[in-house]
Amino acid sequence: MSLAGPVLATTVAAPSALAGGVNVIAVGVLLAEFGMFRQAMLRDQVRLYAAQSALLSALAVVVAATRHLPELYALAGLSFALKVVVVPIVLHRMLRGIGVIGGDPRWPAGSYSGSARSGSTDIAGSHALGVASAVLVAIAVAAFGFFTVAALGLASPVLPATALSVSVAVILVAFVLMIVRRDVVSQAIGFLSLENGVSLTALVVAAGLPLILEIAFLFDLLVAAVVFGLLIRVHHGRAESMSTADLTSLRG
Amino acid sequence: MTADLPIPVVQFCQVVTTAVAAPGVSGVISRVEARLQGRAGPRILQPYYDLAKLFRKEALAPEGSSWVFLAAPLAAMACYLTVPLLIPVLTTFGLPLGYMGDILGGGFILSLASFLVALAALDTGSPYAQLGASRAKTFAAITEPVVLFVVFTVALVTGTDLPYALAATVRSSAGQIIRPAHLLAAAALFLVILYETGRIPVETHTGTNEFGMIEEARPFEHSGPYFALLRWGSAMKQLILYTILINVFVAPWGLASTPGLLPVLLAIAALVGKAALLGVVVAVIDNSFAKLRLFKITEFTAAAFLLAVLGVFTLYLGGG
Repeated sequence: MSLAGPVLATTVAAPSALAGGVNVIAVGVLLAEFGMFRQAMLRDQVRLYAAQSALLSALAVVVAATRHLPELYALAGLSFALKVVVVPIVLHRMLRGIGVIGGDPRWPAGSYSGSARSGSTDIAGSHALGVASAVLVAIAVAAFGFFTVAALGLASPVLPATALSVSVAVILVAFVLMIVRRDVVSQAIGFLSLENGVSLTALVVAAGLPLILEIAFLFDLLVAAVVFGLLIRVHHGRAESMSTADLTSLRG
Repeated sequence: MTADLPIPVVQFCQVVTTAVAAPGVSGVISRVEARLQGRAGPRILQPYYDLAKLFRKEALAPEGSSWVFLAAPLAAMACYLTVPLLIPVLTTFGLPLGYMGDILGGGFILSLASFLVALAALDTGSPYAQLGASRAKTFAAITEPVVLFVVFTVALVTGTDLPYALAATVRSSAGQIIRPAHLLAAAALFLVILYETGRIPVETHTGTNEFGMIEEARPFEHSGPYFALLRWGSAMKQLILYTILINVFVAPWGLASTPGLLPVLLAIAALVGKAALLGVVVAVIDNSFAKLRLFKITEFTAAAFLLAVLGVFTLYLGGG
C-alpha cells in the first residue's frame, strides 16, 4: 500500500488493517504466554490462560467473519465456553480445594489455608532461573521459532504468515514454561496453553479443519484438565507441596 | 490570521513551550494523584512557586566538592533545552535545526544530562546521592537496549530514524497504527518512560524513603538555584519524553502543519492537553501498582525488552 510519509525503499510496508489486527491478536496471544511464564501467582496464571483463550476465540471470530467460514463461529463459541469459562473454573475450584489460593478474600478459605502448610504451596519461587534470565531465554527460543518457521516460507490463504510464526513461538515458550517452572500447576498451565498455541497454528494453516476434529481436540483438552487436576491433587496430597523437586528422587 | 511566523521563532517556541509547560505537567500529575488518593493535593501551579522560592534561596556546596558540582545543573539544563529542537514538539514539518540529530541523537543528549547529574552527585561525597547516582547508571545500562530496539523498530518502519518521519508515517494511515510493531514499540517506550521519569513500578516519585530512591536521590546535596535547575530539568525531561511518546508514536495529531500564528498556538494548547492526559494515565498507574523491589526492576526492564524485541521480530517477518 502507498504511504504518504517520507518513505525510503528499505522500509517494511504496513500490512493491511485486517492483517495488522490479526497480527496484533496473535502477538497478544504470545504476550499472554509470556505473562503466564513470568507470573508468580497461580490465580493470575489461570486468569492469563483465560485471557489468552479469549483472544484466540476472538481471532476465530475474525477469521469466520472475513473468510466466510461459518463453522468457525461454532468453534469459537465452544472454545470460549470451554477454555475461558469451564477450564479456569475447574482449575480455580481445585486450587481452592487444596488451599493454594485460599488466602485471597474473594476465594473463601480452603481446608488448608491458614495452616502452616499453605506456605508450601506457593509457586512464586518456582523459577529454575531468575525471572529476568528466564525471560531472556524464552525470547531466544521464541526467536528461534519465529525465524525457522519464517524460513520455511509457508503461506496461508486465510491468515498472514506472521501469525504462523507467532503460533510456533507460543508453543515453544509453553515448552520453556514447563521446563523452567518447578511446580505442578505451572506445568499444567503450560500444557493447556500449549494447546492454545496448537489451535492458533491450526487456525492459520487449516482454518477449514472439519469441525468434528476441532471439537474432539477441545474435549481432549477437557480430559487433560481433569487429569491434571487429579495429578495435582494426588501430588499435593503426597508431597504437601506444589513443587516437583520431590519427584527428582524417583530418578533411577 | 494567516500571518506566518518566521521559522526560527517557531523553533524557539518549541523550546519555550517545553520549558514553561514542564512544571505544570508535573503539577497536574501530583494533583491528580492526590485526588485519586482522596487528598486535596497541591495546586497545579505549585511547582512554579517551588521553583520561584528555590531561585531566591542561597546556594551551598558541600566542602571539598569541585566545580563539577556547580556546573552540572547548568550543563544538564542546557541539554534539556537542546532536545526540544530535535523532536516534533509543535510542527509536522521538520524545522531547520530538527535535522541536527535523530532519535538517537536526542537520546544521547538526554543521557549526557543524566550522566552530568550523576557526576555531580558523586562529587558530593554524600552516601545517598552516590547511591542514587550508581543505581541510576546501573539501571540506565539495562534500559538502554530497550531504547535501541525501539529505535530499530522506528528505523525498519520508516527507513530513517528521524522522529518527524515516524510521526508522518503514523499519520499516513490506520494500517500504520494497528500494526503490531508500532503498538509494541510504543508500549516498550512507555515502560522506559515510566522508568526514566521515576514513576511507580520503579520508584516512588514523592517518597522520602532513601532506600528505594534512584533518580530522586541524586540532587540531595544541591540547594538554591542549582537545586531549582535540577528540579526544572527533571520536569523538562519528563515533558520531553512525553512529547516523544505522544507526538512521535501515539497521537501525532494537532500539530501545526504551517508556521501560522493560529496553528502554532493551537499546537501549543494541544501539546499541553495531550501531555496532561498522559500525566493522568501515569498518575492512575502510580496509584494502582506497588513499587517493585530494587532487585525486581530487572524483571520490569525484561518485560519492556520483550515488547521491543517482539516488535523488531514481527517486522523482520514482514507482518509487523
